[in-house]
Amino acid sequence: MEFLALTLAGIVSTGAPLVLATLGETLTERAGVINLSLDGSILLAAMAAVAVGLLSGNPWLGLGASGLVGILIAGLVAVLGPVLGRSQVAVGFILTLFCRDLAYFLGHPFARKLGPELPVWSLPGISALPFLGVVFGRHSPVVYLSLLLIPVLWWWVFLTQPGLELRAVGEKPQAAFARGISVHYLRILYTLVGGALVGLAGGTFSLAIKPGWGRPQGAEGAGWIALALVIFGGWHPVRAALGAYLFAALQVLGIMLQESFPGLPAPLFQVSPFPVMILTLLVVNMGRTGWIQDLAYRYPGLRRWVSRWQASAPAALGRNFQPEKEG
Amino acid sequence: MASSTRSLGRIIAAILLSFLVTAAVLLLADAPPLRTLGILLQGGLGAPAKIGQTFAVWVPLLLGSSGLLLTFAAGLWNIGIEGQIILGAVFATGFLRPFPEGGGVVLVAGALAAGILGGALWAVTAGGLRTWGRVHEIFGGLGLNFVALGLTLWLIFGPWRRPGVASMSGTEPLHPSLWLRELAGLSLSPMSLTVGLLAFGAAVLLLRRTRWGLTLRAVGQNPEAALLFGLRPNRRILEAMAVCGGLAGLAGALQVVGVYHRLLPAISSNYGYTALLVTMLASCRARFIPPICLFFALLNVGSIQLPLQLQLDSSLSGVIQGALVLAVFLVQGLEERFLFPGRGR
Amino acid sequence: MLIEFQDIHKRYGAVQANAGIDLRLEPGRIYGLLGENGAGKSTLMRILAGHTRPTRGRLLLNGKVADGLTPAAALGLGVGMLAQDPLDFPALKVWENFVLGKRRRRSETLKRLQDLSHRFHLRLPPEEKVAELTVGERQQLELLRLLDLGVKVLILDEPTTGISVTQKEALFGTMRRLAAEPDKTIVFVSHKLSEVEELCQEVIVLRRGRLVARVAQPIRAKDLIALMFGAEPHAALGTEARTQPLEPPLLTLDRLHLLGEKFALEDLSLEVRPGEILGLAGLEGNGQELLLRGLAGLIRVVGGRLVLDGSELQGRPYLAFRRAGVHFVPAARLEEGLFPELSLADHVHLALPRNGRGTAPLSPEDAISRFSIQAQPSTPARALSGGNQQRLLLSLIPARLRLLLLEHPTRGLDLEATRQVWQHLVERCRQGTAILFSASDLDEIFAYSHRLLVFYNRRLVANLSTRATSLEAVGRLMAGQERTV
Repeated sequence: MEFLALTLAGIVSTGAPLVLATLGETLTERAGVINLSLDGSILLAAMAAVAVGLLSGNPWLGLGASGLVGILIAGLVAVLGPVLGRSQVAVGFILTLFCRDLAYFLGHPFARKLGPELPVWSLPGISALPFLGVVFGRHSPVVYLSLLLIPVLWWWVFLTQPGLELRAVGEKPQAAFARGISVHYLRILYTLVGGALVGLAGGTFSLAIKPGWGRPQGAEGAGWIALALVIFGGWHPVRAALGAYLFAALQVLGIMLQESFPGLPAPLFQVSPFPVMILTLLVVNMGRTGWIQDLAYRYPGLRRWVSRWQASAPAALGRNFQPEKEG
Repeated sequence: MASSTRSLGRIIAAILLSFLVTAAVLLLADAPPLRTLGILLQGGLGAPAKIGQTFAVWVPLLLGSSGLLLTFAAGLWNIGIEGQIILGAVFATGFLRPFPEGGGVVLVAGALAAGILGGALWAVTAGGLRTWGRVHEIFGGLGLNFVALGLTLWLIFGPWRRPGVASMSGTEPLHPSLWLRELAGLSLSPMSLTVGLLAFGAAVLLLRRTRWGLTLRAVGQNPEAALLFGLRPNRRILEAMAVCGGLAGLAGALQVVGVYHRLLPAISSNYGYTALLVTMLASCRARFIPPICLFFALLNVGSIQLPLQLQLDSSLSGVIQGALVLAVFLVQGLEERFLFPGRGR
Repeated sequence: MLIEFQDIHKRYGAVQANAGIDLRLEPGRIYGLLGENGAGKSTLMRILAGHTRPTRGRLLLNGKVADGLTPAAALGLGVGMLAQDPLDFPALKVWENFVLGKRRRRSETLKRLQDLSHRFHLRLPPEEKVAELTVGERQQLELLRLLDLGVKVLILDEPTTGISVTQKEALFGTMRRLAAEPDKTIVFVSHKLSEVEELCQEVIVLRRGRLVARVAQPIRAKDLIALMFGAEPHAALGTEARTQPLEPPLLTLDRLHLLGEKFALEDLSLEVRPGEILGLAGLEGNGQELLLRGLAGLIRVVGGRLVLDGSELQGRPYLAFRRAGVHFVPAARLEEGLFPELSLADHVHLALPRNGRGTAPLSPEDAISRFSIQAQPSTPARALSGGNQQRLLLSLIPARLRLLLLEHPTRGLDLEATRQVWQHLVERCRQGTAILFSASDLDEIFAYSHRLLVFYNRRLVANLSTRATSLEAVGRLMAGQERTV
């Protein structure tokens, strides 16, 4: 029981950066913008967190730096994409490579140094509880942030007016524009906000989960998983976060199995999320293939099952909106 | 005429911008900008051996970009090219493993062919995920990249490990008779070079002079119309992926028989991703690909000097490459938005 | 609100959608706006609602010039349009669609929605996703939204598609009540003459971008049809084009059921003979496109049979149709039919049969001269004008063909080019190819078709021999006045 509680606690904390990144990107994509630079952004933000943390001696400043880096990179995506009309996919991909290399270059002097760590907070009251206390009671503040953001974002996106406008902008920007909603402004805003969360995810990695900076950094590949999780989560904050915890669980499980099978190399377990990622994407996209549609037409039961699993992207995702071109 | 001066202006503006960015980054890293760049260039051009290395890196980049010309023409984002290079290396190594005593040219040719097959198979897998599973080739390719890496690690530490010492330095080296011959002291194999240039030429020919290439371009421009014309877009997508994967696999195989003479975890050295940058920087214009590949190869080789001489990380080359492409994008975007609005894309 | 159009011109490339319209609409009235497809009604209304701006001329609202309007700005001034395809959010819920654009609490929104729905005898489940609603329901929702916003000018574009009689009565009641208010103006764009007769105090008829008539009550449908469709002769190509060929059928449809994206065509049965030309008449979006694409093998068949030259093609893939000798030419030339960056010569090469089977193909130079395409072999498709794109598409049609399907083959072409195109098409029909085409111009359909298929309200309502009917009768069928099937 103790062991289970500890494992769950591990999942909650390991999953925190993934949850932050996934939630951030969910917001961005809900607005219709795809930020493919996640993987590189997380690395660069993680590096910045360590660097600033070491230089200033204050891990909180490091955390702030990571958020700032996330905002800056997202800002580049927002400018080159929605504002200047370049392909969002191309820009994001280039940025992910660029930021990754930049992170390793600038992070060189900080490699393998004892990094600053964010303090671990004990929640008064909760940490005393028998089972839940272990799972939720003692964590880094960013972990608590990730937990808090799940219901907050769910509420924001689905239960508020601004959240409705966000969804409208990602679905049909022409219609939103026709109703006086400022499409460009909202897209840029949510890209930046999403970017901030992505940056914080990087900071979480290097200041809480696996403190320090190394080569290769443990967070490699996390950005791509987050992008897939957004799709898997159907652009829904709660479902996406659950997916993140699922992947964290796989990672934790991988570490435990690794100890039982010392013969297999560690990196092998690190790459295991990716086949799972492909599988989840397959499941989620299948309903759109022709042959499944034909089957679904003939077997209504299948159709119901398929539509439940289907992920429906915001219709205008990835497409830049140019109001002058209309009419 | 005005268009080519504009082109030139665009290029100069982009180079200046990326130079500024690089300088800023270097200053952030407490490195003297001009001296660093000097060491970088020297590292790639300073000695005959270095020049040879640069050309040796030129080959896989050329192979990769040539293949990407085809996939981009078909409207595909073949991010999986990195994994296709790896699979080519794996297949080539696997082909040669039963011959620890070595052999002749035939074996080497067989290894290269195996490499082409491996890369092509991996690419078709990503393509198939898209055409039958509606999984975007970015995610499919990326996932497969990591799987390829995992496969390599498993092989190196598992069934193919060196007896007694399983390590990151790779598998048992190949018998010297299976190594590609190099020009004296230049660490460059003329055969690799020839293969690279031929592949580039073949890709351009395929794209521009054959009906198949025309069909690819049609599919990339308008899949609906391609369907109406009876061009079978899905088939073309798989074919384009196969050819690109084959070329990437060939690059991987050449890395094994020509450069490292064994299978390493880092056998692909990010050449796939770099090739993507090259092709994007060239805006898929074939004539720019060889020079840009060469320049990027120069950066890669030159940056090896950085840790030794300046205690800097060698990923500076990637920073410069990325900055260049971003700068071009920025300049293009500004031009369209503010100088010539309404031109459309 | 007083609306004045002063010398409004609107040009889309080579097409003159509005050519000098002067119109004054007084408040307190319901106006009917009539005209064929392409007459310019939608364009004029889009200008009024701020979706586009005129190339020349001015729009005045209550005496003030309304310049550079956007839809949001027009709404701010009190002009609201209920389009046939409402600009709504299919993935969002009904009440969310209703409230978007305003800042209002959910409870208040639901109450407002309920009140308004009640007043107009409408039932719109607030939590349902708009994508699940029918087009009629979506229009109703949009109407309620506009009313809630307090618009002074209400433009309704085909608002009665797919709603019940009770709802229609309620809608008309609302319209009358609204028009009774001092500053409200209502424009009712419709093709249903009976409704226009019933509701409108004055009818404005547009034809080919110009204002041709203003008719006040009492309104007679007969006069309206004549004004809408006119009687300009299309150059008919001799009686040969009119004689009915007598041979075993080339194409047989037996209770065919086509499932399109937005709606389905059911129970289609018809026979087409070699060398026959069938014109598909009807207002856009009523099924002509679905039928043409279904015959090309692009639409899923969920029932019935489609037999071409004795072989059953229903359920077979597109390539099987192509091999059987079917060719489809879409209306959206650049978006669906051509490759923007490829040259004319490239297109010709792509259209060639693979192994040189079939008759000798056209060379690019041949295509240019025979079809009077104003371009070089190296010109990219996107640089061609609309008319030249159409000519290119027509030049790419394979030589020997059993069935040729064309969506709006002469859209955007001038008289001379149209004549050339039809010369070519009639020649094919002499060689035994059967042709089905849709067109907005009834004259064109009458001049070249052996038979007509008339579509109304998303159904095939008539299958007539051209000689056995008249322009007027078909116009009535298109407007829902009669039914023969």
